[in-house]
Amino acid sequence: MEISSEKAVWDFFVGGDLNAFSTLFKHYYSPLYNYGIRISNNPDITEDCLQDFFVYLYEHRSSLGHVRQVKAYLFVSYRRALVKTLQKQHLMRSLEETDTVFLFSQEEIRIGETFSTQRAKTLEAILNQLSPREREVIYLKYYSNLKNPEITEVMNISYQSVLNTLQKAFAKLRSRLETAAIREVLKK
Amino acid sequence: MEKNHQKLLESLLNDNSFNNWAVKNNKNDIRFWNQWVLDHPEAIETVDLAKSIILGIPFEEKEIDPHKVDHALQKVLNSIENRKTEPTKRVSFGPKKIFWQLGIAATVLILIGCLFFLTRNTEVIHKTGYGEIIELKLQDGTLVTLNGNSQISYDKKNSRDITLKGDAYFKVKPIPATNTKFWVNTEDLRVEVYGTQFHVNTRDEKTNVLLDEGSVHLLLENGGFMKMAPGEFVSFAKEQNTLTHEKVDSTLPYSTWKESTYIFNNIGLKEVMKYVEQTYGIPFEFIDKELTKKTISGGIPNHDLNICLSAIEKSTGTRIVLKDKKLLIIKEN
Repeated sequence: MEISSEKAVWDFFVGGDLNAFSTLFKHYYSPLYNYGIRISNNPDITEDCLQDFFVYLYEHRSSLGHVRQVKAYLFVSYRRALVKTLQKQHLMRSLEETDTVFLFSQEEIRIGETFSTQRAKTLEAILNQLSPREREVIYLKYYSNLKNPEITEVMNISYQSVLNTLQKAFAKLRSRLETAAIREVLKK
Repeated sequence: MEKNHQKLLESLLNDNSFNNWAVKNNKNDIRFWNQWVLDHPEAIETVDLAKSIILGIPFEEKEIDPHKVDHALQKVLNSIENRKTEPTKRVSFGPKKIFWQLGIAATVLILIGCLFFLTRNTEVIHKTGYGEIIELKLQDGTLVTLNGNSQISYDKKNSRDITLKGDAYFKVKPIPATNTKFWVNTEDLRVEVYGTQFHVNTRDEKTNVLLDEGSVHLLLENGGFMKMAPGEFVSFAKEQNTLTHEKVDSTLPYSTWKESTYIFNNIGLKEVMKYVEQTYGIPFEFIDKELTKKTISGGIPNHDLNICLSAIEKSTGTRIVLKDKKLLIIKEN
């Protein structure tokens, strides 16, 4: 959705328009589900919580306050709701203390010019060795296509620390990919 | 050194021309940055890092099956609807009363059960929300495409006698052995058919019927009776008692829809926007009045508001903007 039309749809929704609500729902269901499943690793909880979240959103639409970035707002609110649910069911203590969040699989990496199947496999392993926080930044930026300012809002970190995290993550990725490539060559 | 690296990295990441070079987009930018890299060998590490951050990782986003999303949406909409009407009273049971209350509850449940059993599913209702299109196959094999904001209902025992509110396309399965008829009932008239394809629309306090194939009889609410031949169009309004009956040809304006596509033949943009309003529930306004004179001929996809609007924009050379709960139609600059 373009930013301008998204804002209009949002205003509509806040006004109680179920049609606009449905549009938002259809547009964000997939991205939010994909995000949630990486936090909970549980399809049922992810889905139930997401649907409850949308009901909550509709019922509390008039008290949402001023929302500047719709996408970031939805991501951060859903993230909060999901973590709360997981905590209630004793499935998670806190997001920071959980290692199993934001794991990637090689099937999600588009195989093409830059990434052969072999390289995608290596990349999967290296990505999953990054810290959960680094993985979340990578996930939000390249999987969900959030802009840096949106990432700061979702993860509640500064702009500078988004940049630093990206930098660190990519420095690691690059050196490890190189090492892996050299190993491949040596094996032959 | 570290600080310089940091500064350079940030300025590279924020530089449009550098971004173009990284994704090999613009010839001038590519030439410039190729030369720049040659001139600044000390910056090669930083440049490489910036480039890989820009290129990122080519993830393939998983889309959830649209049917599943629609299903989830229906669930959420139902639950919003239920909460609106749900009484919030709570009855607390005293410990002594609980037994006879349970007794009553059980009796009531049994009674409800009997009622449910007796009246169970005698009426079948299919309903679509704004912007939703469903395709149905009735028990007798008849195919119905139900447009957004529409409803059909029928008795479970007889799916060949249905009531329509809204907009639907029918492909009636003929039953030659018994010659069993198929009926579509609206506020204004009753369509009687054997096996045929036709479009019925009950919006705007009138009923339009467009016959594609076969033949149908219409029993009008005012007692009138008429036969329709393929390619004919009938519009009847009970309230105003107005009747139009004409042959549709390529010179006559008409509109219909099939397989999630509106088909317009020489229809004014205003009329077209009315269709959009009825299907998606969003009113419209012409900012430039002369645009009402524009006409559309051809198919417009109808399953998604955004796609529908951009198709209308393209075929009429207009801009349609959603603002203040209205679709504003303006001139393309």
